[in-house]
Amino acid sequence: MTMHADPFSIEIADPMAGQKPVSLLRDTLRNILRQRSAIVGLTVLGLLVLVAIFASVIAPFDPTQPLLGIEETARPRLAPCIHLLGCPLAQPEHLMGLDGNARDVFSRVVYGTRIDLEIGFLTVGFAIILGTLIGSVAGFFGSRMDNLLMRLMDVLLAFPSLLLAIAIVTVLGPGLINAQLAIGIVAIPVYARVMRASVLSIRGQDFIAASRALGESSGGILRRRIIPNALTPLIVQGTLGIAGAIIDVAALSFLGLGAAPPLAEWGSMIGDERNAVFSAPHLILVPGIAIVITCLSFNLLGDGLRDALDPRLNR
Amino acid sequence: MTRYIIRRLLLSIPVLLGVVILVFILARIIPGDPCRAALGERATAAICDAFNVRYGLDKPIPVQFLTYVGNVATGDLGDSIRFGRPVSQILVERLPVTLELTVYALIFAAFFGILLGRLSAIRRNSPIDVATMIVANLGVSIPVFVLGLFFAYLFAVVLKGTPFALPPSGRLTPGVDVIPLAKAWGLTTLGGPPRVVLDFISNINTVNAILTLNGSLLLDTVRHMILPAVALGTIPMAIIARMTRSSLLDVLGLDYIRTARAKGVRERDVVAKHGMRNALLPVVTVIGLSLGGLLSGAVLTETIFNLAGIGRTITEAIQGRDYIIIQGVVIVVAIIYIVVNLIVDISYGLLDPRIRLT
Repeated sequence: MTMHADPFSIEIADPMAGQKPVSLLRDTLRNILRQRSAIVGLTVLGLLVLVAIFASVIAPFDPTQPLLGIEETARPRLAPCIHLLGCPLAQPEHLMGLDGNARDVFSRVVYGTRIDLEIGFLTVGFAIILGTLIGSVAGFFGSRMDNLLMRLMDVLLAFPSLLLAIAIVTVLGPGLINAQLAIGIVAIPVYARVMRASVLSIRGQDFIAASRALGESSGGILRRRIIPNALTPLIVQGTLGIAGAIIDVAALSFLGLGAAPPLAEWGSMIGDERNAVFSAPHLILVPGIAIVITCLSFNLLGDGLRDALDPRLNR
Repeated sequence: MTRYIIRRLLLSIPVLLGVVILVFILARIIPGDPCRAALGERATAAICDAFNVRYGLDKPIPVQFLTYVGNVATGDLGDSIRFGRPVSQILVERLPVTLELTVYALIFAAFFGILLGRLSAIRRNSPIDVATMIVANLGVSIPVFVLGLFFAYLFAVVLKGTPFALPPSGRLTPGVDVIPLAKAWGLTTLGGPPRVVLDFISNINTVNAILTLNGSLLLDTVRHMILPAVALGTIPMAIIARMTRSSLLDVLGLDYIRTARAKGVRERDVVAKHGMRNALLPVVTVIGLSLGGLLSGAVLTETIFNLAGIGRTITEAIQGRDYIIIQGVVIVVAIIYIVVNLIVDISYGLLDPRIRLT
C-alpha cells in the first residue's frame, strides 16, 4: 500500500533528530562519575591497586624476614619508630613497628594489599562464574532444572555462611586456597539468584523471540543475548561481594584456617597477634584498618554503581 | 493464613533434608578414613575395625545415611572425640551462651539500627543523616574480629579505672556463682527431656538471674555481655539502619502520607503511625536474615571474648580436629537458622497480608 497524498498524514518531527546517540557505556560511565561515593571508592581502590602492584618498591623490608639478629635493636613487638617524630636516628625506621616475629609490620601490610585484593577478586570471580552458570541455566531452561538447582542453592543458603565455610575447610584442609574455595562456594547462591532473576526478566522479551526465530541455538541465545544483558546487577553484587569475601577469608585466616604463616595476609596477621592486643594494639589496628579501608572502598563503589546503574533512580 | 503456614512448613522440609545430606556428605569426604581422622596415631587395624563397627561405618552408605538421619532426629549427634562426651550434652551447656550473646546483639542491632535509620530518614541530608550513613558504611566494612579486639582494648586498657571500663573476657567475674535452676528449685531428681530443657534454660545466665531474682548475677552477666554484643551487633545494626532509612524514605514519599499530612495529622504521628508501620516490613526481613551473620560472627566474637559458646567450641574443635563436634554444631545451627527463617517468613505473612497470596 502506498501512502501518497493521504489527507490525514501528519508530519511528526523526530524529537531525537539532531541529537547524537549516547552510547550505553558512556552514559553509564557518566552516571557512575556523578555518584560521589563511587568516585571516592574508585579513587581509594585505584590507590590500593597501585600499592599492590608496587609493593616491592614501597615496602622497605622483606615481609616474611624476621629482623632478629639482622638489626641490633630489633625485638618482637617493637613499638613504631618514626624518625620525624623523634625516634633516635641510630634506630632503623619502622613506621608501624615490628610484629611478634620481629618482622616489619608496614612491609607486611603493604604486601598484604596484594594478597587481600587477589583474594577478593579470585573468590568472587569463582563464585560469579559458577553462580552465573547455575543461575542462567536454571532461569533459562526453567521447570525441573530450575527447581533442582535453586533448591540446591537454598540448601547452601540454609547455613550461616561462615559455619558452612568452616565445615568445608575442615574437609578440604586448612590453607589459603581452600579458604577461598570455601568462601567462594558459600557465595555461589547469591549470584545464582541474581542471575536467575535477570534471566527470567529477559527471557520473555521480544528480541529473544527474534533471535530464536532467526535460528540461534539455546546456548547461543544464553551466551550472546541473555548473559550480556543480565550483567549489570551481577557487577553491582560482585563489587559488594568482594568486600564480604575479603572479610570472610580474613576471618578464616584469623581462626587459623586460611593463610598459613609466614604469608602477610591481613586476617592472619590479626589472628597471630590477637593475644598481644592489650600490650601492642597497633599490631591489630594496622591490618584491621587496612581491611576496613579496602572493604569500605569496595562497598562505596558498589553502592555508587548500584545507584548509577539503577534506571529507576535516573533523574 | 493456615494454608500459608502449612505451605511454608512443607517447603522447609526439602531444605532441611538437603542440609542433613550435605553435612553427611561433607563428613564422608574428609580425606583419609574417618577412623584415622578421629583417632590419629592411636588407630591400629584392630582398633579401626572396632571403630568402624561401633559407628556403623562397615555398612553400606544408604544404611549409614538412614542411621545418621535417625540419630540426628533423636538428638544423638555422636560423641566428641576430644571430650569423650556426647555432642548433644556439650551443646546443652554451650548453646545457651551463644543464644544469649546473639539475642543481646540482636536487641542492640535492632534498637539502634531502627533508631538511627529513622532519625536519618526524617532529617535527610542533615549532619545526623551523614554521620549515620558514614557509621553504617563503616559498620558493614569492619570485620567483627577487628571491632571486637578494638573494643576489648578500648574498654579494658584505655578506660581502665574509669566507670566505663568493662570486662573484656569471660561470662562472669570469678566469685559470682550461677545456681542451676534444678538445684534452686529442688528438682535435682528430674530426668529425661524436661531436665535437658531445664538445664538449657538454667545455662542462660540472664534468664537464670531473673528467675532466681539474683540481682548481682544479672548485673555481672549484662556487664560481660555488653562488649561482645556490641561488637557482634554493629554490622547488623549498620545494615538495619540503612534498610530502615531507605524504606522509610520510600514510604514517606507515597501518596497516603501526603494525604495524612494534608488532613492535619501531626508530623510525629505521620512518621510513627503511618510511616514506620509500613516501612518496618522489609526491616523485619533484614533482622531475620541478619541472624545468619550473627551466628557466623558469634564464632569469632566468642573466640575473642573467651565465651564458652558453640562458636568457641567450633574453634577448639578445629584445633583438635574433632570432626564429630563440628558436624554436630553445624547441623544444629543450620536447623536453628532454618526454623528462625521460617518464623520470620510466617511473621512476615502476618504483618503483610499480600505476602500470603503469592
